[in-house]
This record gives sequence, C-alpha cells and structure tokens, in this order.
Amino acid sequence: MTTPTMSSSAGSRFKSLPVISHLRMSSGLQRGMLVAGLILCAVFILSALLAPLLAPFGFAQSSDASGDFPRQAAPDAKFLWGTTSTGYDVFSRTLFGAQTAIWVILAAVVMSLFIGVLLGLISGYLGGWFDRIMVVLADAIYAFPSLLLAIVMSIVISQGQSSLFGGIMAAAISITVVFIPQYFRVVRAEVMRLKAEPFVESAQVIGASPWRVMFTHLLRNSTRTLPLIFTLNATEALLTLAGLGFLGFGIEPTAASEWGYDLNRAMSDATSGIWWTGLFPGLAIVLTVMGLTLVGESMNDLNDPRLRRFSRKKAQRITQSAQSGADK
Amino acid sequence: MTITSPPGQEVSPIAAPKAKNQGGGFLRYLITRFLLIIPTVFILITVVFFLMRVTGDPITAAMGGRLTPDQLAARIHEAGYDRPILIQYFEYLGQIFTGDLGRTLSDNRAVTEVLTTYGAATLELAINAVIVALLVGIPLGLVAAKFRDRYPDAILRILAILGYATPVFFAGLILKLVFGVWLGWLPISGRADWETELTLTGLQSPSGIYWLDALRSGNMQAFGNVFQHALLPALALGLLTGGVFLRLVRTNAIGTLGREYVEAGRSRGVSEFRLTTKHAYRPALIPIITVMGLQIAMLLGGAVLTETTFEWSGLGFKLAEYLTARDFVAVQGIVVLLAIIVAVTNFIVDVVAALIDPRVRY
Amino acid sequence: MTRTKNGLRLAAAVVGISALALTGCTSAAEDSNSGDSGNSSAPITLGTTDKVTSLDPAGSYDNGSFMVMNQIFPFLLNSEPGSPDPSNSLAESAEFTTPNEYTVKLKSGLKWANGHDLDSKDVKFSFDRQLKIADPNGPSSLLGNVESITAPDASTVVFKLKVANDQTFPQVLTSPVGPIVDDEVFPADKVLDDQKIVEGKAFGGQYVIDSYNKNNLISFSANDSYAGVLGKPANSKAAIKYYADANNLKLEVQQGKIDVAWRSLTPTDIEDLGKDENLTVHKGPGGELRYIVFNFDTMPFGAKTSDADEKKALAVRQAAAHLVDREAIAKNVYKDTYTPAYSFVPQGFTGAAEPLKDLYGTDGKPDAAKAKKVLEDAGVQTPVKLALQYNPDHYGPNSGDEYALVEKQLEADKLFDVDLKSTEWVTYQKQRVTDYPAYQLGWFPDYSDADNYLSPFFAKDNFLSNNYDNPEVDKLIADQRGMKDAGERTAAIEKLQTMVAEDLSTLPLLQGSQVAIAAKDVKDVDKTLDASFKFRLGVLSK
Repeated sequence: MTTPTMSSSAGSRFKSLPVISHLRMSSGLQRGMLVAGLILCAVFILSALLAPLLAPFGFAQSSDASGDFPRQAAPDAKFLWGTTSTGYDVFSRTLFGAQTAIWVILAAVVMSLFIGVLLGLISGYLGGWFDRIMVVLADAIYAFPSLLLAIVMSIVISQGQSSLFGGIMAAAISITVVFIPQYFRVVRAEVMRLKAEPFVESAQVIGASPWRVMFTHLLRNSTRTLPLIFTLNATEALLTLAGLGFLGFGIEPTAASEWGYDLNRAMSDATSGIWWTGLFPGLAIVLTVMGLTLVGESMNDLNDPRLRRFSRKKAQRITQSAQSGADK
Repeated sequence: MTITSPPGQEVSPIAAPKAKNQGGGFLRYLITRFLLIIPTVFILITVVFFLMRVTGDPITAAMGGRLTPDQLAARIHEAGYDRPILIQYFEYLGQIFTGDLGRTLSDNRAVTEVLTTYGAATLELAINAVIVALLVGIPLGLVAAKFRDRYPDAILRILAILGYATPVFFAGLILKLVFGVWLGWLPISGRADWETELTLTGLQSPSGIYWLDALRSGNMQAFGNVFQHALLPALALGLLTGGVFLRLVRTNAIGTLGREYVEAGRSRGVSEFRLTTKHAYRPALIPIITVMGLQIAMLLGGAVLTETTFEWSGLGFKLAEYLTARDFVAVQGIVVLLAIIVAVTNFIVDVVAALIDPRVRY
Repeated sequence: MTRTKNGLRLAAAVVGISALALTGCTSAAEDSNSGDSGNSSAPITLGTTDKVTSLDPAGSYDNGSFMVMNQIFPFLLNSEPGSPDPSNSLAESAEFTTPNEYTVKLKSGLKWANGHDLDSKDVKFSFDRQLKIADPNGPSSLLGNVESITAPDASTVVFKLKVANDQTFPQVLTSPVGPIVDDEVFPADKVLDDQKIVEGKAFGGQYVIDSYNKNNLISFSANDSYAGVLGKPANSKAAIKYYADANNLKLEVQQGKIDVAWRSLTPTDIEDLGKDENLTVHKGPGGELRYIVFNFDTMPFGAKTSDADEKKALAVRQAAAHLVDREAIAKNVYKDTYTPAYSFVPQGFTGAAEPLKDLYGTDGKPDAAKAKKVLEDAGVQTPVKLALQYNPDHYGPNSGDEYALVEKQLEADKLFDVDLKSTEWVTYQKQRVTDYPAYQLGWFPDYSDADNYLSPFFAKDNFLSNNYDNPEVDKLIADQRGMKDAGERTAAIEKLQTMVAEDLSTLPLLQGSQVAIAAKDVKDVDKTLDASFKFRLGVLSK
C-alpha cells in the first residue's frame, strides 16, 4: 500500500505510520487477513511497476517476427493465458492492466482527497450559508447513482476520445466527482467537532488567521480517518473504472490495457465456451479489490476498540512505544 | 451496482440539517429534513439537464450516419435543440411542474409509461436481492460474531469480501459460462421465457412484478419459469449486499454480545443459542434497518450493471440505453424518479435513526 | 369481425391455460395456437438485437422498426421473396403515365384489419403526412423528388415528381417511407403512439399484432384481409423477441428457446453456432458496406492543408488502395461473415462491377511495390503521416480489430505512418465532417438500387461532406436516374463505379452478408435472405 503521509500529529515516525502500526497491533487471524491483504496489494503494485519487464508482449501487440498471433488461441507455452479475439496476449494485457488501474486509482483518490478535504475544511470552519449550500450539494450528488454520474462525466470530459491520458483522466475525474462528497462529509464532520475544542479557540484568540487555524490546527487533527477511506475508495475507483470499461465508456484497447474493457469483449467469447479471455482480467479485478479491502477492513477493525482484540501485554507495549515516539 | 457502501464504512448518515437554534424538537427536525428533499431533487435535475446537453443530441446519435450536415442541422432546429439552453431548461422545469415528463425521443414513448413498465422490473429485482441479502447476511453475520476471530468467522468474512470484490459483470460472465454453456441448467438472461412473458403481460391489470402476477393468476408453471430466471440476478446482486449486511450484523452483534445484559443472561443460564438469536440480535438489527434503507435506494438507483449483465429490462438497463442514444428526455425522467426515491428513502432512514437515537437530532 | 373473435379465443385460451396450470399440467402459450386461419403450423419465434424506434412509418428510419413495419403494413409495391425488384402489391398497376407523373391503380375491395376501407385516400394521406410531419427521426427525406400527390378517384393515386422518369421511384415506394397507413386511425400531423396503433388494429400487412411489449416481445398472427404480393404467411403465428446483448441471443437460439436468430451475432458466435448440429447457418447477400472516407480538404496534401497538392493527395489514396488486404480482414476479423468489397456498389445489385480489383493491388491482393511506385511517381515523401479515425460503438465491437488490422497493413512496408484513434459515436458524427482526414463509415441501403450507393456518396453536397466534387460524376449520377432503358442505365452505373474508383473518394473494404441462424426444423429461411434486405416472417414455417 502506498502509505498516506498525513497521520497523527505528534512524532509520525515509521512505526506509527498507519499500516505499519496496525500491523504491529494485530494478532492471530486479524494479522493473517492484514498480511494477506498486504501481499495481494504488493503483487498488484509490483505487476504495475514491472509490467514492461514481465510481460512477454505489448498490450496491443498482435504479431511478432514469426507472424500474426493466433486469435482466441487456448493457453499454451507461448501464450500462457491464451489470446483474445484481436490476437492480443491475455497474460501481457492483464499485467499492463494493473498499470492503468493504479494510475486511475491514484489520480482519482488524490484529486478527490484534495478537493474534498479542502471543501470540507472551509465549509466546516466557516459555516453559514456557504456550508449549507455545500451540504445540500454534496447530499444531492451523493444521492445520484455513482456509476451513472461517472458515465455522464466520462462522456462530457473525454468527448469520446480514446487517448491514454484522456481516458485515464476521464475515468479519474468522473470517479473524483463521485468521491468528493464522501471526503467532504467526513472532514466537515470532524472539523465541526474540533471547532469547539479549546485549542482552536485559543488559536483564534491569539489572532491566528482563519487559513492558519484551518491548515495547521484543524487539518492535522481531522484527517485521522482518511487512510481508511483511502483504501476503501481505491477499491471503489477500481470497480468504477472496470464498470465504465465494461459498459463501453472506458479506455480504448490500443491506448491502454483495461480489465473492464477486456471483460466486455470476453462476454461473447464466454458464450462460445472460451473462458480464458474473461477469467484472468476478472480475477485480477477481484484479487486487487480483495487485497485493498482486506487491508482497509483490518485497519478499521483495529481502530475500533470494540473489535480490537489483543493481549494486555501487547497493548502495554504499544502504548509505551507510542509514548516514547511522542517524546522524541 | 457494484458500488455499494464499502464494507469498512459505517452507515453513512445523510448529513443531518444543522438547525442553529436548538430546541425545535422532533417535529421541527422532521419538517426541515423533509423540506431538504426538494433542493436535492432540484439540484439533480439541473445537473443532469446541463450535463446531458453537453454530451450531444439524440438526432445526431440516430441519424448522423445517413444525413448531410445541413439536413441534420435542419432537423435539430426543427426539434428546437439549437435554442438557448436556458430557455430549454426553464421550459423543461415548467413541464415538470405540470407533471408532464414528456415523450422519449429515441423510441417515442410516454416517459411515465417507461417509468412504470421498467420500474416494476427494477422493483422486483430489488426485492429479490434484498430477500437474498437478508437470508444470507443476518444468520451468517450472527454465526461470524459467535465464532469471532476463529476459522468460521475468517471464512465468512473472506466470503463477504469476495462478494464485494467481484464485479457483477464478472460474476455474470462466470455464471453464463457455467450455467449457460457448460451445464445449461439455468437461464442467464431476461425475466421469463417468451411464452411465459406473453401469458403474464396478457393478464388483466398486471402489476408488472412477474412472480406476483404468476401467483395471483395461480399459474404455477409461469411462477417456476419466473423463479428460474430470477435466481441468478438475485444471487449476484443479493450476495453483494449480503456481504455488507453480514459485516454489519457481525460488528454490532460483537458489540452487544459483550454487553452486561448478555453476560447477565449467560450467568442466569440462558442458552447460547438464545443469547445469540435473541439478546444480541435485536439491538444489532437497528443499524441493519438503516443500511437496508440506503441499500434499497442504491439497488433501485444503480442496478445498471446487474440489469445489463443479465438483460433484466429494468430502469438501470434502459437508462444505459437511453444514455447512449442521448435521449435526454428519457434520461431526465428516469433520474427524476430515482432522485425522488433516493431522497425519500434517505429521509425515512434519517427519521428512523432520529427516533431510535435522539442524539442524531442536533 | 374475425379479429374480435380471435381476440376472444386468445383470451379464452389464456384463461384455460391458467386453469390447466392450476391443476399443475401442460405448457403455456403454445396451446393458444388454434386459429381458424387455416394453416396451423407451429408459431415461429425470431430473436434480434435490433430495436424498434417507432411503429409509425413517419417516426422512424432504421432497420429494426422497418423490419416490423414490413410485416404489418401494406405497400403499393413490394419485393417478392427471392427478388429485390419491386412488384405490384396493393397496386394493380404502377407506371410513368407522363415523364413527371407516376400513376398507381389500386386493387379493389382492399380492407384494413380493423374493417376500414383501404383506398387512394389512405395512400395520399400516408405520403402527405410523411412530408408534413417530417419527424427528426423519420424518413421523409426519401421523398425529396415528390412535388405533390393527388387521388383523382378511390382507386387511383398520382405522384407528381420533380425529376422526370426517376427510375428509383418504384424502389422508394418499397422503402421505409413507403408503408401505407390507415387515415382513420393515424393523425395527419403527428407521430402516433405504438400502443394506439395496436389498439386501433391499423394493420394491413401479412400480420396483425396480438400483443405488443415494446423492444421486448411482439406476437403476431396472420391477417386474413391482406391482399398484397407476399400472400398468406406460411405460419399462422409468429413472435419477435428483442435482446440487448448478442451473446444472450446466441445462447437462447442454441438452447432452442427461439427458432431463428437474426441480426446481429458476433463472428465468434456465428462460427461457434455453425458447429452446432441442431442449427443451420443461413447466409444471403448483404447490403451493408464498410469503407474509409477521405476528406479532400484535410487529408495529406488536401486542398486546405499547407502543402496542398491534388496529385499527391490522389497518390496517397491510391497507395492506400494498393495496400489494404480485404481478404485478411474478412477472414481474421469477421470469420468470413463479411466478404471483400472491390466496388462502391455491393455484389448482387444490378450494375455492380469490381473496378478496384483491376485498378489496385494484384488480383485483389495487396501490392506494396505498386503502392511505393505511385507515391514515388507523385514525389510523395514516405512514410506518409495519416490520421485515421474509427468508431467503436456503432458498427459493431469488431471495428477496433478491423482498424487495428488496417493500420498494420498500411504500415507494413513503412509507406504510411498511421495515427489510429477512436471516438464515441455522437462526437464522431459531429467531428467527422470537419476534423477527420480519413475515417470509418458504414452504409445500409434505403432500398435495393445501385443508385442508393452512388448519389448519397458521390453527388455534390452529399452526406459525407468530404469535399469531393467531380462535375462529370455528378452529371452522370443525375442522368442515370432518368434513363428509361435498363441496359443503358446499367452501363452508366458501371461507368460511374470506374470513374469513382479512379478518384477514390471513399475506399470500400467489406460487404456484409445477411446471416440468420435457425433451428434445423425451420423451413425456407433462405427464401427471404435476398438482396431486398427485407426479412419476411411470413415465409418461415416448421
């Protein structure tokens, strides 16, 4: 997992980074699930990074020195996972698909994080009519079926063009629009709560500017839940991207490899009993989402005192290390 | 839609209105909350109206490959799509206020007819899916809580995550492969065989919900056929939601199983089974009701992928079609309905939440 | 009267079935097939992924709607199964009485299924209404040559034409603008709702619609009052089931839930179904043409580019024509559900020639040496940069594969450097006219005449708007329409194809075949797969 750097206020050293601290806190099955999730995520990130090295062919390559690739060929020694109806190598496309997925996830989550957090901060801090409008607006967008919003946005943004950058940005922006209200809501609620805390009031009394109050005092304290939302929204981003691709509003096959699109094309193969064109990209989606979800859910459980379960000794150790971390 | 509320997220409450002056009480909250439905629906209509106009017009979509640019322009002018967009917008608003949703542009039907015909199908799918989700989610959630952090719990949780992680179209592809191609046991598309559909739509004042119609007319053979068709889509969508339910029941049951009164019951010698089903179950149900409200809204609003995968001719399925045809009248009509359903469901959920826990009303 | 009786009978049958089902036996709708219409063959079910826009002829201009209209509405002229040529249907005679007047005499005693009289008033009403409504989704533009319509008596209709001796006019009467409608049911100034048409029983074709569930299921039964050229249907009942997804259609025909699958299965599915011993793949000539359009202004060396040079631009088009390998595309991408097209007029039409076979490549195969030479001779620097556009969602999902292969073929000998892009349909239609130097399009004819492949494309100000303007071609296109002598007209059409092949305003690639997959026990499917491209439910039986 890419570890979001904004974490607790005091002494954020390696050990208190979200995922790492959770790992240390966990035990037994909970640890097992967290580790399994981390492994799946690692595989996902590695295949994205190393796709150009690992993949035997390009994602849109349908011939080599020895001639055209066979179409819809069953898996064999040369084409480990078979070929598609276009003659692309399924294995290579699945690997490269991780690249596209990771770009979209990063772009979508980072954009929505920035805009959502910013709006949440301002709205929560300032209050008044601006806040009310923002809340109603966020509610309205939240009520809209997210995939449909993403479809409409992707048509508007890309104007149906098929370029790699355009495709990725269209997918990312359409997902962003759907996510902003979620971040907005979480941050705003935190800010509303924190606003009444003494340290904010004292800062205001000293005469700190609203921006300073917002960014130094409120931001740091209100973003504690964000790493969790990050992993969850990463899965949603991936599923939305795949959904867009499946419905034919995604990225074209020659511009980038995208699992949802491959599944779309695989539907007609499946009805003819050709299983390999759909199975592998599908499994790639399932395993990646599972990995992210396992990490997210484990973190959630460990954050929730009702669900956290570890020995007293271990708890003591953690408390101590946290304190010593704070002392430094 | 695959994008249900993610398993890690608690009930995401629709932000409650922040009444500045305290002390309005429940009625006041009720009214403010109800009035908020109006701007929500209004904003959605507006957003959809302008977005749809940006994406192009239905005439180019239908005729672009046959007519000269001049002929196209003439037809677009005839239909009035080249007029200032604000005029069109206010015209549309006026039309809606008179209750007229217009006629679809791409297949010439009254929008209200589209809504009732396909709405019934979506409702049927949603009901089926909720039944599956409840049947799966609640018992298994209790089991998971009971065996918390032991193997049954781990397996169930991983299954729940698997349910969430599998996009419905991938599930559809696998199901088609297994049941449609290799085994041939279950139908993988449509709501009924054509003979059955003919019989059911020919009934007097059909409800449009096929199994209901089949039961009302006492046609068990038709019911069997409808049941077969409903099975796979209901499972695909239901298991997705079931995973969310499972997780919620587990979390809440764990919370309550540890409470004093359960412990007290245990010390009084109440059986473990009774403890799990009665004592821990009741309180765990409250968040379920809330989430179910949200889920129903989502099922209704976003069954696009499920409906498309299984060719279930409901609102989501038609919406995707109308979007491709740039049929803004139809898209707007469907969105208005969805917006109202979602807003009203959220309203009910909030009110229920407020009734249960007065702290929500701040 | 018979109609009401049948309706009652159907209702009774349905009640009966429900009663039977209560006691737990027997199957559903098939039992209701007990009409008194004589022929009692089993009902035929056809599945399709086409869509109905509107049953009202004034409100739709697409294959899906027209296919249904052809079963339920009468035509003055229609083509008999097996032939693309118009023959008299409602008409007893139809001919040019003067160069500008086309006179149709109706058969006597014609009736609509609802009992209303069918006479010249209905005919005049039908065409006047098309022109008056001119619906954005309608086909009224096909009546461009009609000045006025008169009905001097109950059995005579006179069409006054702007262009004399228009040889395509009889074909127009068989086209999507040609169905005759009941003037007592249809309004004169607006498109009628489908359900109202069904309620009004405004049918005059081979069939009437018994139940109508738009874009889901239509059930038909034979129309006893039909007196047109198609005759009595071979089956007394039929149904059309609509699918959104081709692979669901494929599975259902394979599982025997429907009898015939018609338009549009994927090549993979067709190939797979061909191996199924319970099914037969029927193929007929196809009118669909797939081609690349060159924009004469914006293509390399085009008139509005910085290095405009007509000769070099022509050389670029010719080099492309030398390089494309149609057989490879047809075989690899479409598994031979399409065939190579070496002309602008598909094979099977009167006057179709294959000029591109002689002019470019060698024996229909690509020839890189010739391409190289033509570019060198014109002094064109290679590789030529060419931006090529295709559309992924309108002409079937295989367009992407098709154009990936075209790109590869053009680039194979380093003569071209192709920049391949795709764009979603609506944007594509807006941009193609101005922005794309070369792009994909497809065509499905309005009626079965070679002219429908020439004038919309190569006359001045055509729908392509690719700035192609050859006055000689323009004149010959206008002239051949008015040639009364069939031989002379055929020669002119052949000559036109050669002239355009030299200019290469478009580069035809493939011609589609009509493919219907039917269960083994369905008879006479091949009869309807002719060059009229009209699927007639009435010829099928089992």
